[in-house]
Amino acid sequence: MALYFGDLLPFSSLLLEGLWTALYITLVAMVAGSALGVFLYLGKVGPGKAVSIFCSCYIEAIRNTPLLVQLYLIYFALPALGINLEPIWAAVIGLTLNNAAYTAEIYRAGFESVPHGLREAGKALGMKNAQIVRYIVLLPATRNVFPALTNQLILLFLASSIGSIISLPELTNAIMSVSNTTYRTIEVLAVGGLLYLGVSALLSLASKRAETTLFRWAVGARV
Amino acid sequence: MTVIFVENLNKKFGPNHVLKGVDCHIREREVVCVIGPSGSGKSTFLRCMNGLESITSGSIVINKHRLDDSKTNINLVRQEAGMVFQHFNLFPHLKVIDNVMLAPLKVAKVNKDEARAKAEMLLAKVGLAEKMEAFPGSLSGGQMQRVAIARALAMDPKIMLFDEPTSALDPEIVGEVLTVMKDLANEGMTMVVVTHEMGFAREVADRVLFMDQGLIVEEGSPDEIFSSPRNARTQGFLSKVL
Repeated sequence: MALYFGDLLPFSSLLLEGLWTALYITLVAMVAGSALGVFLYLGKVGPGKAVSIFCSCYIEAIRNTPLLVQLYLIYFALPALGINLEPIWAAVIGLTLNNAAYTAEIYRAGFESVPHGLREAGKALGMKNAQIVRYIVLLPATRNVFPALTNQLILLFLASSIGSIISLPELTNAIMSVSNTTYRTIEVLAVGGLLYLGVSALLSLASKRAETTLFRWAVGARV
Repeated sequence: MTVIFVENLNKKFGPNHVLKGVDCHIREREVVCVIGPSGSGKSTFLRCMNGLESITSGSIVINKHRLDDSKTNINLVRQEAGMVFQHFNLFPHLKVIDNVMLAPLKVAKVNKDEARAKAEMLLAKVGLAEKMEAFPGSLSGGQMQRVAIARALAMDPKIMLFDEPTSALDPEIVGEVLTVMKDLANEGMTMVVVTHEMGFAREVADRVLFMDQGLIVEEGSPDEIFSSPRNARTQGFLSKVL
């Protein structure tokens, strides 16, 4: 079987637009989801009992059901309640709600992994709790959270391919339609796969760079 | 003048009765070393003195602040009683100088120039003037502990509490930390030191407390404790560590 990539050329802008859509919904869901995750985390560890239970239930429900089912619910079940969403908004909302639950757990793990001794040192100096969090715990916690968050960004980018099943023209959807038009299935899957791989590798590389420049102090430190 | 009053101090962790009625008075400028086997309650006793552990019953008065009174502002007590930990607990994201300046800036609210001048002076005093701009991660254990001492001193404490300050250090660098502590003792700082360094206790302490199973079993001058201990448990402990 001969591979022939030439047939794909007329569709390159379709594939690139798909890639752009995938990146767009990923970034929006990352920003919105990680912000929402802060509130989920604070709600979960905060003093309000009802709020804490609600946040825990939400986090567990999201993390223990398939993203695909969550997206189906938003796109196909919400219209029964009179809420109709464009595919792109259904995807953005689905990925955001999903991402929020995961980032909330990342924050929890990051804050818990800051050695307890740092808080005690702050206390022993007469600092108030809010000051201890602000000046002592926040940065080491951010450092602990950073690799998991960038990993989550890549996972989210790959998960955005699920948008294809609600006919959102993102990269996977574009791959399928080019395949259906040209019958060059292997070729277009190879090109599409390489696009995912390339972007993921770039994100990974950029986050490693960012980590070493942002957290220079962490070299040799016990955090 | 007595600055620390501990009376009938009891501390329980759940069913675990760690301190079983500790009595102890410590005078201004006194250096008291607390020795004893692991699990005897030495560290818990020390941590009760600045409220890092809550008191189950009994009373502690530090510089006229009653720790068993819920109206006492514990943060004021902590500003007057500095603490040095076994594992240093330096803030890893702050440079050495900023570790020392943090509490003066945020708690004592002194201005930046003043805090910096003070921090530079203290770091010079502990022999680390050239490490001011370094991050803690690049320091040796002995250097970290000396920074931790400078950090505690930056709040001008009247009392210093040391919780096994040299236990996490390699034997050859224990000396540099003990030297700093000795200087501090000679300057008249009131010090309570939980330690396994019997040489330090013997040389620097005014008084040595031997703790076992949640009680002060025996106390006296270093000479009395190390040369002629009266209690059988003290004798047993010292025969193993000396």
